[in-house]
Amino acid sequence: MNGERPTASCGFVLDLDRCTGCGACVLACRLENGLAGDVSWRSILTLNMGRYAAGPTYHLSLACHHCVEPACLRACPAGAFEKRADGVVLLDTDRCLGCRYCEMACPFGALSWDARAGVMTKCTLCSHRLDEELPPACVEACPMEALIFEPALPHRTGVYSLPGEVPGFVDPAGCSPQIRFRDPSGDLREHRLAQVREVLSDG
Amino acid sequence: MNADAHDGKVVTYRTVCPRNCYCTCGMIVTVEDGRITRITGDPRNPATGGKVCVKGIAYARRQHDPDRLLYPLRRTEKGLRAAPWDEVLDEITHRLGRIRSEWGPSSALYYEGSGSHGALSVLGEAFWRPFGGPTRAHGDLCWPAGLEATRLTYGDNRHSHPVLSREARFILLWGHNPAETNIHQWRLITEAREAGARLAVIDPRATDTTDAADIHLQPRPGSDAALALAMADVIIDSGLHDTAFLDHHAHGFEAFARRVRECPADRAADICGLDPSEIRSLALAYASTSPALLIAGFGLQRHRRAGQTMRAVSLLPALTGNIGIPGGGWQYANLASHQLRPPAGLPPEPEAPARSFPTSQLGRNLLELEDPPLRAAWFEKADPVSQHPRTMLVRKGLEQLDLLVVVDQFLTDTAGLADFVLPAKTMFEEEDLVTAYWHPYLQLRTKVFDPPGQVRTESRVWEELCRRFGFDTSLFEKDRRELLRSMLPAGRQDMLEELASGPVDPSGRGEVAWSGRSFPTPSGKVEFLSREAERLWGVDPLPDVGPLTEGPSSERARRYPLQLLTCKTRERIHSQFGNLDWVEEVERPRVLDIHPADAAARGLRDGDTAVVWNDRGQIRLRIRLSPGIRPGVVHVIEGRCVPDDPFVNLLTDDGVTDMNHGATFYECLVEVSRP
Repeated sequence: MNGERPTASCGFVLDLDRCTGCGACVLACRLENGLAGDVSWRSILTLNMGRYAAGPTYHLSLACHHCVEPACLRACPAGAFEKRADGVVLLDTDRCLGCRYCEMACPFGALSWDARAGVMTKCTLCSHRLDEELPPACVEACPMEALIFEPALPHRTGVYSLPGEVPGFVDPAGCSPQIRFRDPSGDLREHRLAQVREVLSDG
Repeated sequence: MNADAHDGKVVTYRTVCPRNCYCTCGMIVTVEDGRITRITGDPRNPATGGKVCVKGIAYARRQHDPDRLLYPLRRTEKGLRAAPWDEVLDEITHRLGRIRSEWGPSSALYYEGSGSHGALSVLGEAFWRPFGGPTRAHGDLCWPAGLEATRLTYGDNRHSHPVLSREARFILLWGHNPAETNIHQWRLITEAREAGARLAVIDPRATDTTDAADIHLQPRPGSDAALALAMADVIIDSGLHDTAFLDHHAHGFEAFARRVRECPADRAADICGLDPSEIRSLALAYASTSPALLIAGFGLQRHRRAGQTMRAVSLLPALTGNIGIPGGGWQYANLASHQLRPPAGLPPEPEAPARSFPTSQLGRNLLELEDPPLRAAWFEKADPVSQHPRTMLVRKGLEQLDLLVVVDQFLTDTAGLADFVLPAKTMFEEEDLVTAYWHPYLQLRTKVFDPPGQVRTESRVWEELCRRFGFDTSLFEKDRRELLRSMLPAGRQDMLEELASGPVDPSGRGEVAWSGRSFPTPSGKVEFLSREAERLWGVDPLPDVGPLTEGPSSERARRYPLQLLTCKTRERIHSQFGNLDWVEEVERPRVLDIHPADAAARGLRDGDTAVVWNDRGQIRLRIRLSPGIRPGVVHVIEGRCVPDDPFVNLLTDDGVTDMNHGATFYECLVEVSRP
């Protein structure tokens, strides 16, 4: 990052009320980026699939979060990572040594090892499409328009929740992941309030 | 664009997904260097709104999948082996001809499933009609009872344009899970909710759809008629029925009102396993909000009392005056696009009516039909070994045939038993017309590729067989576009050009169903009382309540106390798509959802492998503790795609619905035990 703060930080917004975890985004990414075999840049994480009463069920469609402080970038001995001015974190596979340090460093499991080529790979935010003012393939494919691309993410506004406010989603390495969640129905807030009530009643 | 000319070019095509699915998405497909590189929705289809589902994108893998069958197979001593077309067709001709002359034409079964939709499928008739009329299956595994109940009640299967769902203020989803099985409807429902509409869902399970519901009722599977009649009783008792609508447009309302007095909420609560207050609250919420949209799925009509159940449920929108208004209504099936005619020049049907049996009873008919017995069978667009009930009977029945021909794109469980497997084209390899049953549009399926390898279109196979049997082949020599044109509604032959630039509603009925309040029933009104139902199906002319043959109050429930549901999900259509490695990445696991109390009573913990069994068969499944499912009900996603998937239909029975020859998959009792 050369010590400079990025002028803008783009990233994904996921509407938790809308996402059904269908996986259209996962396959659209695979098709657009020609990903073969085990290489995969996006995945669906479903929380509380059995629908226990303690909290709501969430589907999280997750890829690289294009962090403000990317742990992968800091861990890479080859300087293969770049944080672009628009916020996109790119990995130059030509410079990748295959050491996989970045994979250990990333707390979100966003990197994907290409065993055939012996290099690490990751989501590019479809920078080739952004450069043509097209949305990333995953966003274009989402049949619910639950996954949205934001060229400049708000730090905290209105209905957008920060990652740490979503149950099960933490930022242990202080990377400031650039993903925000919407929950218009207020499930998250209700869930947090319920947790507080439970703690108080136990005390 | 010439489909051969792909070298080095980027070409886009407008086409349509032909799967048996509500959405029937318009698609834009991009091809570069002979491979699909992008699939998006066609924005000209307003119902699917420029998007496809996860399966739609998976076509990019499916079309080029390495496991696809690219040449004919014939059974040898070493199993199925590749063989040249001429040898295969000569041999089929020889064997089928011998069976026909020895046993008669009805000793052959011609079975066409719903694995892919296209109007040209009818060309098979150009062979089978002169063949003399094979045995056929009638009815349908999926939805026929609901179709007939709707027809008896309203006169036809119509509903308003899906986009009008946005205008609903109250949406009641009954046995329906659009978040998984009708994603574009779910998008519209979500938009209605975001604009303030309330959502109620009736489903014994907890699903992505019920997660969003303001009201969720979980009745016992198969008890929906009691629930509907009790809701009607509450509505009439509260004076919330629409007397103005009923006075002019209802037939037999007084008799219906007397009938529902026999099923008050207290009685229905016992039958459904609900609290009476839940039934009253739902009835009042539904009847006091306008417009209210009731969407029924297929699940609540997969038992023997299906037709009468659907009659009861389908009357609620009429009772509350929600018929003929935007944002309200009864939504089950929309057959507006089903306006195609047989192609000009198709030979006439044989004079004697074909022998046929209810499709759900395929297995026993393969084994038991006499005079003549079935000796040969031809299956296309179907995988009965995984999809029909009574898997053991189906398998046994297929194995004892003298000749089994299967046409498919992949080596399915059924194809694996065949004497000959013929490689089928895909949706991208022949131009055709595709109807829908949720939105009103007829759409053009475009030819994108020539069939690869030795794949031939089915129509070419029929032509070759006609030639070998000495039947008339002139139909096949006609220009295919002109054949399609001849199938369009009378006087609308120019529609073919219109279809090339987007979907067309051929019905001309407008967006709001029944806006003229003219119903093509015997009385010209909504039939609360249907003498036609009584006459055709021997049922009570009013919807009524009764126990399931294989339900929780039956004797059988002592041995097998759990009701098994085998529902659908988003990344598969039955046995299709789940064989693809891409889909494996996003698929829902094949687990048995069981309530923790039911599991604990059987000494089962989360993740254990359990045996799910009854006197018809048994399967092994990993269990998932699911506090969201109704106790007494267990669930697994159906549709066997890979060898690891269970044959859930080892457990299901081959009953027939009270109306229209449907199957009874969800009337199935099982026990679950430790292995």
